[in-house]
Amino acid sequence: MSAVGSSNPEYVVARVRARRGSLYGDEEYRKLTRMGPAEIARFMEESSYGEEINALGSRHGGVDLIEYALNRNLAEQFDDILDWSEGELYDLIARYLRKFDAWNVKTVIRGVYTGADQSAIEVDLIRAGEFDDRRIRRLLEADSIDAVIEVLEDTIYGEPLREAYAEYEETGVLVPLENAVDRAFYERLLSGLGNDEPTRQYEAFLRAEVDFRNAINALRLARSGADIDPAAYFIEGGELFTRGSLARLARNLDELVEYIADSQYGEELGPALRELEEADSLIAFEHATDAALLAYGDRLGTIHPVSVTPIISYILAKEREVENIRAIARGKEAGLSAEEIESELVIT
Amino acid sequence: MLEATNELGNVALQAGGTLTDANAAAALAVGLAALGAGYAERGIGSAAVGAMAEDDDLFVNGLILTVLPETIVILALVVVFIV
Repeated sequence: MSAVGSSNPEYVVARVRARRGSLYGDEEYRKLTRMGPAEIARFMEESSYGEEINALGSRHGGVDLIEYALNRNLAEQFDDILDWSEGELYDLIARYLRKFDAWNVKTVIRGVYTGADQSAIEVDLIRAGEFDDRRIRRLLEADSIDAVIEVLEDTIYGEPLREAYAEYEETGVLVPLENAVDRAFYERLLSGLGNDEPTRQYEAFLRAEVDFRNAINALRLARSGADIDPAAYFIEGGELFTRGSLARLARNLDELVEYIADSQYGEELGPALRELEEADSLIAFEHATDAALLAYGDRLGTIHPVSVTPIISYILAKEREVENIRAIARGKEAGLSAEEIESELVIT
Repeated sequence: MLEATNELGNVALQAGGTLTDANAAAALAVGLAALGAGYAERGIGSAAVGAMAEDDDLFVNGLILTVLPETIVILALVVVFIV
């Protein structure tokens, strides 16, 4: 687990490809949608999630068990990938996985804000990022937001959080703090990338993700009609929007939809956009962006077989699998039918 | 084109900077082939170990694929016998 030495994509790709083979396919999903939570847990126990289900089985049950086992397995797998990679490869993968650090920081801040107890926060953390166990423990032990920021002082989140803290104290809402974390993450994500072909494709993927995030944020704002400055939610680095154009487009839903339909993503997102106009359903659009990213990720993994791209492709597929299983379990708990749950899944 | 290359060869020979000893050239050929094989095995070997770590059954396949580039050294060895 280090950024020194030369990259070893061959080793990591071989291991990741083997693991990719054990991800669930259409067949398994079809089975899962017809099971109850207890059966899903048993099904997972017999697949690659066995260890986690067994470790957590005594403390949790039902859908919670599935959820925590999924989170833990995800963290374990991604930690492994970071462990294996060296040199430039480590840097490239860590960039993307830092989003779990950002997620953890936000979860802890929210937990402290709402006064949740330590164990409740702990189960919601996904320890897949770069933070080690010691820092996570110190984060969990922090009893005020000020203390959280102190723990993060020497990370990339320290300074932006410190700046946002003044605003938080004035207004009492978490938005400035959460935005600061997101922005720190996205700033690091796209800065100083190398210039070889696989890295360029990786960069294109990251930019697409930033674009989709901006698009979803803008759509949400445009639909809600709330009086919030859209520019405050803008994430730098995408190609589709500039701060100015996002602020303008977020005021008018029709214009925004048209703008996205005319962009380079129009072909992939077209059907979802039509659905958005007709049924007013943002969920379909979010699924379409996820499916587009996943399809792009799959393609990414085959063009340069020995580079960072198949690893990122696996990370995406794994994340998607965890989200799908979670959707199935939660759907079952809420009593949705198999068809309804299937429409919630993102499978390529 | 060919003539020009010949010409160039003659000039180079007269200058005396080229390898004229057949045995030395053959040795160089084997050495370079071995270097190439080693470089190829580096990548294949690390991938094979990675695959084996995930699935022990891949040991035989990994071993075979790892030593496959060794054939190029054997082919290069033929050169030694024919010069």
